[in-house]
Amino acid sequence: MTIAARANSLSKIYGDGDTRVTALDAVDVEIGAQQFTAIMGPSGSGKSTLMHCLAGLDSVTSGQVWIGDTELSSLSDKELTRLRRDSVGFVFQAFNLVPTLSAIENITLPMDIAGRKADPAWLDTVIDTVGLRDRLSHRPSELSGGQQQRVACARALASRPTIVFADEPTGNLDSKSGAEVLGFLRRSVDEFEQTIVMVTHDPNAASYADRVLFLADGRVVDEMFSPTSASVLERMKAFDTARA
Amino acid sequence: MFRAALRSLGQHRVRLLLTLLAVVVGVAFVAGTFIFTDSLKQSFDALFSAPQADVTISADSQFASGGQGGGPGSGADQTPTIPVSLLPQVNAVDGVAGAYGMVTATGAIVLDKDGKPVGRAGPPDRAVSWLPDASINALSVSSGQAPQASNQVALLESTATSAGVGVGDTVTIETSGGQQSYTVSGLVTRGIGGSDGGTLTVFDLPTAQRQMLGNTTTFTSIAVKAMPGVSQTELANRLSKTLPGKLKVETGAQRSADIANRLQTAFGFINTFLLAFALIALFVAIFLIFNTFSMLVAQRTRELALLRAVGASRGQVRQSVLAEAAVLGLIAAAIGVLGGIAVSQGLRLLLKVFGADLPAAPLVIQPRTIIVSLLLGIGVTLISAYVPARRAASVPPVAAMRDDVSMPAKNLRIRGIIGTVLIVIAALAAYSATRNVNDNMLATRLVGLSAICALIGVIALAPILGRWFIGVCGLPLRGNAIGNLAVENGRRNPRRTAATASALAIGLALMSAIGVLAASTKASVAAVVDDTIGADFIVLGANFQPFRPEVFAAVKDTPGTSTVTYTRQIPLAVGDDQGVLTGIQSGKFQQVFNLTMDSGTADNLLPGDAIVDSDTAKRLGISLGQNVPVDYVSGPGFLILRGTYKPAGPITGWISDVQTLTDAGGRDLDSAIYVRSAEGSDPTTVKASLDKELAAFPAVKLQDQASLKDQINQQFDRVFGFIYALLALAVIVAFLGIVNTLALSVFERRREVGLLRAVGTSRAQIRRMVVIESVLIALFGALIGLSLGLIYGTLFRKVLESVGISKLAIPTGQIVWFVVLAVVGGIIAALWPAFTASRLDVLKAIASN
Repeated sequence: MTIAARANSLSKIYGDGDTRVTALDAVDVEIGAQQFTAIMGPSGSGKSTLMHCLAGLDSVTSGQVWIGDTELSSLSDKELTRLRRDSVGFVFQAFNLVPTLSAIENITLPMDIAGRKADPAWLDTVIDTVGLRDRLSHRPSELSGGQQQRVACARALASRPTIVFADEPTGNLDSKSGAEVLGFLRRSVDEFEQTIVMVTHDPNAASYADRVLFLADGRVVDEMFSPTSASVLERMKAFDTARA
Repeated sequence: MFRAALRSLGQHRVRLLLTLLAVVVGVAFVAGTFIFTDSLKQSFDALFSAPQADVTISADSQFASGGQGGGPGSGADQTPTIPVSLLPQVNAVDGVAGAYGMVTATGAIVLDKDGKPVGRAGPPDRAVSWLPDASINALSVSSGQAPQASNQVALLESTATSAGVGVGDTVTIETSGGQQSYTVSGLVTRGIGGSDGGTLTVFDLPTAQRQMLGNTTTFTSIAVKAMPGVSQTELANRLSKTLPGKLKVETGAQRSADIANRLQTAFGFINTFLLAFALIALFVAIFLIFNTFSMLVAQRTRELALLRAVGASRGQVRQSVLAEAAVLGLIAAAIGVLGGIAVSQGLRLLLKVFGADLPAAPLVIQPRTIIVSLLLGIGVTLISAYVPARRAASVPPVAAMRDDVSMPAKNLRIRGIIGTVLIVIAALAAYSATRNVNDNMLATRLVGLSAICALIGVIALAPILGRWFIGVCGLPLRGNAIGNLAVENGRRNPRRTAATASALAIGLALMSAIGVLAASTKASVAAVVDDTIGADFIVLGANFQPFRPEVFAAVKDTPGTSTVTYTRQIPLAVGDDQGVLTGIQSGKFQQVFNLTMDSGTADNLLPGDAIVDSDTAKRLGISLGQNVPVDYVSGPGFLILRGTYKPAGPITGWISDVQTLTDAGGRDLDSAIYVRSAEGSDPTTVKASLDKELAAFPAVKLQDQASLKDQINQQFDRVFGFIYALLALAVIVAFLGIVNTLALSVFERRREVGLLRAVGTSRAQIRRMVVIESVLIALFGALIGLSLGLIYGTLFRKVLESVGISKLAIPTGQIVWFVVLAVVGGIIAALWPAFTASRLDVLKAIASN
C-alpha cells in the first residue's frame, strides 16, 4: 500500500506550566493512498488537532509529518501555503465557500489563486459527480447547505490533490444531504482513486470509510477496517464506559 | 444595559480609535479656533495698559489711513500732516503736562550688508520719530540708547536681526529723502509684543521730518501727556475746543479700542473661515462614525438578539448603542479640547509664517469653548450612530438562535429616487444660474444651491454608482482570482463603500473646485497683465512704495529703450468714495496702458482733465465733460471727466496728467516707471542695462510682465495654499475612514480570509486583495469628488466672471496629482488592515463560531 500521509511520533502541546495541555501524545499514524480514512474519538481526544497537523494548518511541537514525500515541519509559511494549494484539499464543517464567488469560481479557486488552468475533463467529471451542473453560476447564499458542501467537496477534489481532509463535513447537514456528500466522498475514492481523511463523531458517517482510527487523550487507541455503523457505535460506547 | 454598552466599547478599543480620531480632529479645530480668538481678545486688553499718549492730535482727514488700490505701483501714499506751529498752542492748554511732535510714516527701507532691502514683500517698512517721554512711549530701548542726532537710528530688535546689525554698527536706510548711512544707536522693543512682520526704524524728530516728510515744518501727529488728575477725556475735550482747524483729537483709550477693533475684524474673518473647515471635518467624520457603528452593530447581531431574547426592549437596545456613541463622543470631544490647545498654537505659528506676528497672549480657555466642543463631539457622534442604533433595535430575538446571521440589506431604491431628484434639482439650478450670470448675487446663490443638492444627491446615489464604478474599473482585474475577489469585496457592501468614498469625495471636491478657481484667477490675472500693460519693463518700489525721481533720471536714457515714462499716484476722494489718482506724463498714455475706452478719449489729457473706469463712473453717476468736485489730502479740487475705460483687473480709478497731481500738492515721488524697448533691441540686453542703472537704487525692483505675473500669483498662492492646507485635513480624515472601513471589513471577513489561506492563498495575495479594494474605494471617492469639484469650480468661475475671473483654466496637472494622491492614499490606508488580514491565524479564523 502507498502512503499518502504519515505522522511520526507527532506531539502537540498547548500552553505552558499549569495550563499545559497535551493534545497529541507521540502519535504514529500512516494514511494509505486511495483509501477513505475516518478519525473518530470523543470531544477533546485530539482528532481535529491531528487533522490540522497532518494538513499543514497547524505547527507541531515535536515529531514529523509527511504529505507524500514532503516533510512539513521544515517548511516555511510560503512553502506550506503552496503545499496546501497544490497537494491538499479541504472540506470544513461550515463556512466552506467564499460568499462573493459563484459555485464554479469557488470550485476552481485554488487553481485560480495559483494562476493555473483546471483540467477541463477532470473538472467536468467532478461537477457531474457532485451533480451541480445547473447551479454553477449561483452564489453560495443561493445554494442549500447540502449543495454548499458538495461544492466544497468539488473544490477539494478539483485540483487532484494528494490528499483531501474533511472536518465534520456533514456536521451541519440533514441526514439526506449528509448521505449525498458521504456518497460522493466514497465514490471519489472508489472511482477516481482519491485519498480522503475525514474527522467525524458520527458512527454512520464513519461507516462509509475503509478504515477508522480511534483517538483518545491524544493517542491512537484502536483502528477498525471495513466498519459498519453498529460496530463503530459499539466501539465508541466502550470509550464512554472507560471514562465512567 | 449601560454597563453592557461600556463593556462593548472596551472590547472594540482599537477599532473605535480611528472613529475617535475623526471626531477629535473636528472638535480640536473648533476648540482651537475658539481658544485662538479668545486668547487674542485677551491680549488686546494689554493694549490698554501699555504706555501710550493720553491724547493724540492729528490732521482730521479721510486719508488718514492712506489711499488703497490702484493697480501696479499703487504707492498712493501721502500722509496728512499738521503744522509745527500747533505745538506751542497745545502746550498752552491747561492740563497738558507735555506735548511732543511726532512723525509716523511708511517707506523707510532698511538695507542689509549686501544692499538688499530687509524683510519681504507685504508688511510695510515703518519709520517713527523718537518720543522722549518714556511714560507715554509705546517703544522702549532694550540696548544702547535712543537716536539723538541726524546720523543715528534705533531699530526694532527683529529689524536689526534681519539686517544683521547691532548697536554701534552702520546701517543704510533708503527713504524718499534719499539713501543715507546711520549709526545704530540702540535697539527698541514694543511695550506689547507682536508686529505685522514689517520693519521699524526710529529717527530723532528732525531727521524723521526731513527723511519721511521732506520738510521740517510739519508733524504727522502730536502726542500729549496729561497732568495728574486730568482725565484723558477731559483733556481731549479742552484740546478740541481750544485748537484751531480741522483736527482729530483722540484719547489713548480710543486709539487702543480702534486697534483692537481693527484686529478683531481681521481675525473675525479667519475665525469664520476656520470654523467652516472644522465643520467640514466633522461632516466627514459623520460618515466614518456611521460606518463604524453600522459594522459594530452588524458584528454584534447575535449579542443584541440575545439581549432581546432575555427581555431587553427595542428601546433599551437602541439606547445601549446610543449610550456607547455618547461615551465615545465624550471621550473624543475631551481629547479634542486638548487638541484644540495645540491647534491654537499651530494657528499662531501658521499666521506668523504668513507674516502676522501676533501679540503674546495667555492661553484662554473659556467655559463656552469646552461646552460647545463637548456638545459638538457628542452631538455629531449621536447623530451618526442613530441609524445604526435603530437598525440594532430591529434585530429579532430569534436571531440569537440562528447560526449565520446578517443584517438584512435594505433596498437601495429609495436612495436612488432621492438622489435622482436632487441631481435633477441641481441641474436645473445650475442651468438657471448660467442664464442669470448678470445677476451676480442670484447666480451665486443658485450655483451654491445646485452644489449642495448635487453633493447630497451624489452621496445618496453613491452606493449604486459605486457598484457600477467598481465593477467597470475592476474589469481588467477580473483576470486573476485575487483581483476578482478584491473587486467583489468592494462591491459586496455598496453602502459602506459609498459612505467611505463619499468622505473622501467631499474633501477632494472642495480642493478641486478651489483648484479650478485658483488656476482661473491666475490665468485671468495673466491675461489682464498681457492685455493692459503695454510696457516691456516696469520699475516698482519695494512693497509698492513710491520712490525718488532720481530713479527715473537714471534710467530714462538707457540705450535700447524707445519710451521711458513714470507715473505718480495720490489718494483722492469723490464724496465718500475714496480712490487713487494716477498721473502720467502727457502724451505717454498709450505707452503705459492698453486700455479699452468705453466712452470719450484718453488722448491729450490736460492738467485738470481725467478719465476713470466705467464702474466708478457708474457708481458715482458722473458723465463726460462733467466738472467733478474731488478732495485731495491738500484740500478740495476739480477734475473734468474726459473719458471712461473698461476696468481691467488691477487697473482701476482716476487717471490724469501728472501736472494735476503736482497742482494738488502731490510730492515729487514716482509710483512706477514704464519702459518700452526700441524696435529690434534685445530684451536681455535692455534688461541688463536697466539692472545696471538701478543697482544704485535698492528700494526699487525691475519687473517684466512675467515677473509681475509671478509676483501677483505668489500672493494668490499663499491664500490658496492656506485653504489647501486646511482642506487636506478633511482628506486625511477621509483616509482614516478608509483605514477604518477596511479594518472592520477584514475583521468581519476573517473566516473568509482564513478559508482563503487554508486553500492556499499566500499572505502576499491576501495583502494585495485588501490593497486593491482600498485603491478602488479611494478611486471611486476621487472620481465623484473631482467630477463635482470640476463642475462646480467651472460654474462658480462662470458666475464670478463679472468680478474679474475672465478666463477658465482647468488645472489638469493638479487633477492628475489628486488622482495619484487618491491611489497612494488608498495604498497607505490599506497597509495596516492588509497586514492584519495577512497575519490572521488560519485555524482560529476557520474554527466554527
